[in-house]
Parts: sequence; structure tokens; C-alpha cells
Amino acid sequence: MAPALGKRKRRDQITDLESSREAPADEDSTNLQALFRQHFESTFEPLPGSSAHPPLVHKLDTKATDEGIESDWDGFSEHGEEHAETVHHATSAPSKADVSKDEFRTFMSAKPPSSVTKIASTAKRKWPESPENDESSTDAANLKKDLALQRLLKESHLLDPQSSLSHSGKNRHKALDLRLQDMGSKTSVFAQQKMPLAQRRGITTKATEREEHRRREAQENGIILEKAAKSKKKSDAIRQRGIGAPSVGKFQRGMLKLSKKDVADIEGPKKSARRKR
Amino acid sequence: MASTPQAPVYLTTQKSLAHRLILSTLTGRAVHFKQIRPSSLTHTGLAPHEISFLRLLEAVTNGSQFVISVTGTELLYKPGLITGSAPGSGASAGVIKHELPAECTRGISYFLVPLCLLAPFSKAPINVLFTGPGVITSATPSGDLSADSVRTAILPLYAQFGITDNIELRILRRSNVSTGGKGGAGEVQLVFGHQVRLPKTVHIMNPGRVKKIRGVAYCTGVSASNNARMIEEARGVLNPMTADTYIFSDVSSAPYPKSRDKSNTNQNRKTGVGFGLSLVAESSTGSLYSADLASPPAGGVPPEDIGRQCAYQLLESISFGGAVSLAAAPTVLTLMAMGSEDVGRLQLGKDVLSSEPIIGLARDLKAFGASGWGVREPITGLDGDVVVSVVGRGVGNVGRKIA
Repeated sequence: MAPALGKRKRRDQITDLESSREAPADEDSTNLQALFRQHFESTFEPLPGSSAHPPLVHKLDTKATDEGIESDWDGFSEHGEEHAETVHHATSAPSKADVSKDEFRTFMSAKPPSSVTKIASTAKRKWPESPENDESSTDAANLKKDLALQRLLKESHLLDPQSSLSHSGKNRHKALDLRLQDMGSKTSVFAQQKMPLAQRRGITTKATEREEHRRREAQENGIILEKAAKSKKKSDAIRQRGIGAPSVGKFQRGMLKLSKKDVADIEGPKKSARRKR
Repeated sequence: MASTPQAPVYLTTQKSLAHRLILSTLTGRAVHFKQIRPSSLTHTGLAPHEISFLRLLEAVTNGSQFVISVTGTELLYKPGLITGSAPGSGASAGVIKHELPAECTRGISYFLVPLCLLAPFSKAPINVLFTGPGVITSATPSGDLSADSVRTAILPLYAQFGITDNIELRILRRSNVSTGGKGGAGEVQLVFGHQVRLPKTVHIMNPGRVKKIRGVAYCTGVSASNNARMIEEARGVLNPMTADTYIFSDVSSAPYPKSRDKSNTNQNRKTGVGFGLSLVAESSTGSLYSADLASPPAGGVPPEDIGRQCAYQLLESISFGGAVSLAAAPTVLTLMAMGSEDVGRLQLGKDVLSSEPIIGLARDLKAFGASGWGVREPITGLDGDVVVSVVGRGVGNVGRKIA
């Protein structure tokens, strides 16, 4: 029915013309009113009265459906229908959603599929902050502010008078070192590692002197101080010797010299003279 | 290499030759085979796949000796150390390339399953690439598993012995059986990188209940619709029993090996055309049951039949019961026998235990000096099962002893 197609086209044009002719002039005004009404209702509350929607948006669609109804093309001729045999190779192709991609990867990869099925993580999910639990949120905020204040107090001496409240450059490292020491770090990162022995001795003697002075002052004034930390005993662990060095005594001028202690250590504890016969 | 020269174990016929050779290598005892196809007029003595297996053994061991009689009906094997794919022993860049001849009629699992048994006791990781015109990755009419089943049903069992890391079986090129039942130019690489001193003692007593079924439908050189038809039919049988059934489809072109002599262009044609199905059922406790079927080399079987028969085969394998299926039982029992000097227990179906290969395995193990098995009824569970207690040898990996 090839010619019908052409006809239909012409008819469509006619219907279009007709519809446009039928549309009176006042339709435009009602459309405008509806538009205003819609806008008003969207910003304020719905107006009383008829809530008939304007055919504004749907006009094109209705035209299309009209066209569908009006088309008189009724498919291919029907005379062969009783002879047609339909064959369904019902390949119920399982949808990809049927099995997860993980499953495919575990089963079809080169590795043997692990028989242990992965259990979904039961770790507690973090819920986004909801406005309901503002009590806890204020608590958290307070904690944060508290921490900031503590830090400011501790590290304020590092702050530049010119710059803002945040540390920068060397001061940032110093602040970090202070925090580390606060958390239990034994020594500062900036403590000098290597120096002449005399200098180090001087530092330690000065430190002990200062500590002694402080304690004496406190005692005289009747102030109770914390207990003095016991000075560390020198460990009796065996000295680490160099590789290839003798494990006992010391090697000097081509001979191994053993001290009396070394000899005693080698000999072991002396047995008592009394012996059972 | 036995430190004290012991008399070899005398065995007859070619029956389960590969597994016996593995036992010989693991226990370190020499073995003497007699009467290897003595009465066959056309194919007397060792078959091509057996010779190939001997070559493979030679490649992964150091110091092993083979003496084959003139007729090929007798074989003396003195095992060496299992070195694996260590550099300097035939491995190039850590990979041993093993070429199978075109006359090979057995599937690749004939080589893979015994090699996997050797691998945990090797000194270095094993990495073997099987190539050549004789590599059949599909199931074969002689009853070999497909490479997929080895990967999905045999290799996961090693995890129970504490052998889990760095195990891979890459099927690089698929191939079915060619016409005449000969090989088909596939390519498979086995990487077994987890070596242990001793496999753990296992107590596999609870078969559990089948919870999911997975599978691979493969076709080489034929339309992918064959896969869909196999899957459809297999699912039709299995879906009413287990809803969690899914069979993956793998379509590949047939390998096209170039003939050596250029004059004979007739031989330049596709080989290994066909299709097949591998199914694996997994129970709630991790027991695996597998089934395998491929189109026969002569063709003429519709994919629907393959799919249905494979599904029935899987159901039969499940119905045998036990925690280990018949296909995997030799592997598990051998690993148990090679474990520490401790009693391991394994629940098997009565039909599985009384089958010929398992009884033969028990006799072979005894011949190689392992202790006998204890068999008793399970305290609980199905009445079709028995519990087999196996005492390990406690020798384990000789290469790992000093380390």
C-alpha cells in the first residue's frame, strides 16, 4: 500500500490545517491565563476553581495519537497467516544481572575459585550527620574547639606575630614535634644527635645540676615533688664486637690479651675443694 | 633419589601409570612396570601420552632415570628430586614449555592432575606451559576432565591442605578433541607457586548440602548458539533442584596449527572443533562435585543431549555422596597419605570408595610403603557413606627440609 503512505501525509496536513482553523483566537488568551495560573500556583497555593490543565504541553502528543488512529495502514496482507510457522529457539539468555561481575571474575579467572563465599562487610556504616542528633554534634564541635584551644595554648610561643593562627614552615615542624612529645615520644626530633663528648657531658651535668637544685629548693620550701626517676643501670649485656673480632679479650699488637676477669669467666666458678671420693 | 638403594616396586600393566609414577616420585622408590600392552598388535608398549608424561616428569625433576625396554612393554623409573621450574633445568624464564605430540589422545587433565600433586612438594614453583598439537582442553571420551573442571573442582581442594597461594591455571587457547580422537592444539599454562613442607592434616567429615551450581559451556570453532542450547538444557534439569545455578559461556575460535611440511597443505586446517560442558556443584561446607561432557570427535550429537547428560552426570556424582567426588578422591587421598604422621579422615561415598581407581590407589599406596587405610561407618550422617582414615607418611617435601 505504497500510495496510501503519500495520501496519509497529505491528510495530515489537512488535519493540521483544520485544527489550526478550529482553534479560535480566545484559545491563546486561555492558554496565557493557564500559564500564569500555573506559575502562581507553583509559587503560592493552588487557586480555587477549575483545575483543568491547559492542553499546552500535550498538544503535540495528541496530534501524534490522532495520527495513529487515523492512519489506515493496516499492516501486511493477512492471507499467508495460517501457513506461517513460528519457531522459538527459546534461548532464555540469562540476564547479566542474574550473576554478579564478582562471581564471573572469581569463577572464570585463571585462579581456582575460592569455595569460601565472601561475606559482605559487617563493619558499621557511617551515617551522614542528621540534624536530629545535634546534641552529639555540638559535643563533637566542643571537643574540636577544646583541642584547638589546648593547642593554641601550648604552641602559642611558636606563632609569628605577623602571620595568622596557623603555623607555617619551621614552626609547623616544631609544633608537630611538641605534639609528638605530648603523646609520649621520648626525644625531640630536633635534639642534636652528634656533638663533641665534652659538650654532651656538659649538657648532662648541667641538666642533673639543675634538677638537683630544683629538688633541694623544693625540699627546703616543703614542697613535695614527683619521685625522682631512677637513673638507668648500665646494662650487663655483652658488648657488640666487630665481625671477625675475638669474642673474648682484646687483640693488641698481634696478640690476644685476656684480663683476669676474662680468664675467670672462661674457667667458670671454682669448685669447692671438698670432693666425695 | 633414595639414599639407600631399595628394590624397585614391581607393578604390572599400564593401568593408572601416571599416578603410580607420581607415587614413586613422592615416596622416592623406584618402580618397575611390566606387561605394558603386551598383547596389542598395533600399539604395543607405552602410548604417546605416557611417553609425554615421562618427558614431563623428567622436566620437573632432577636426576630421575627412565629405562624403557625395546618393545616398550617394560619401564624402570628411578625418581629424582622434584625441582619444579627452577632456572637451569630446562626452564626458560621460569617456564617449562612442554609440547604434546599430535598423537596424544588424552585430555590435558591427564597431565595436569598428577603434576598438581607433585607441585606442592617441589623445591621451586612449578610453571609449565603445555603447547603443541596434542593439547586437548575439553573433556575426552576416555573420561578425562576438562581443564575447566581441573581449575574449578580439583584445584580448590588444595586450599584445605593449606596450599592456597599463587595457583593459576590459564587456559590460553581452547581445543576440543579432533576427528579421530587425536589432539587439538590448545594451550594451557599451570602456575603452582605454593610449596609446603607438609600438607596439613585434614578431617573432611561433613559433606553438607549442595547450595550452588556453576559451570562453563565452551565451544571452539562452532556457533555460540551451541553453548546457549547446552546451558538451556542443563539448567532445565538443574534449576528445579538448585535455584542458584549459573553456567558461563566461553566461545573461541578453533586452533589453526600450521603443518610442518609446506607441501602438504591439506593438513593446514582447523583442529579441535566442538563443544562441551563442565559443571561444578558446591555444597554448604565446600565439597565439590563435578561433571564433564564434550561432543564426541565424530560429532552427530546435538548440544541439548550434551547439556542434559552432563546435568545428569552431575546429579549422579552428587548422589554418590561423600565429601569428595570420584574425580577428586585420588588427589585428596594421595595428599592425605603424603601428609604429616597423623590420622586424617575423609568421608567418602561407598560407591566412590569401592570404585576401581580408588581401590587400585589404596593397593598402590600400600605397595609404595604407605600404611593401610582404616574404614568405618560414620557416626552421624548418611548411611551411604564411610569414613576413611589415612595416616600420613610424614616425609613431605625433601627439597624444603633444609631451608
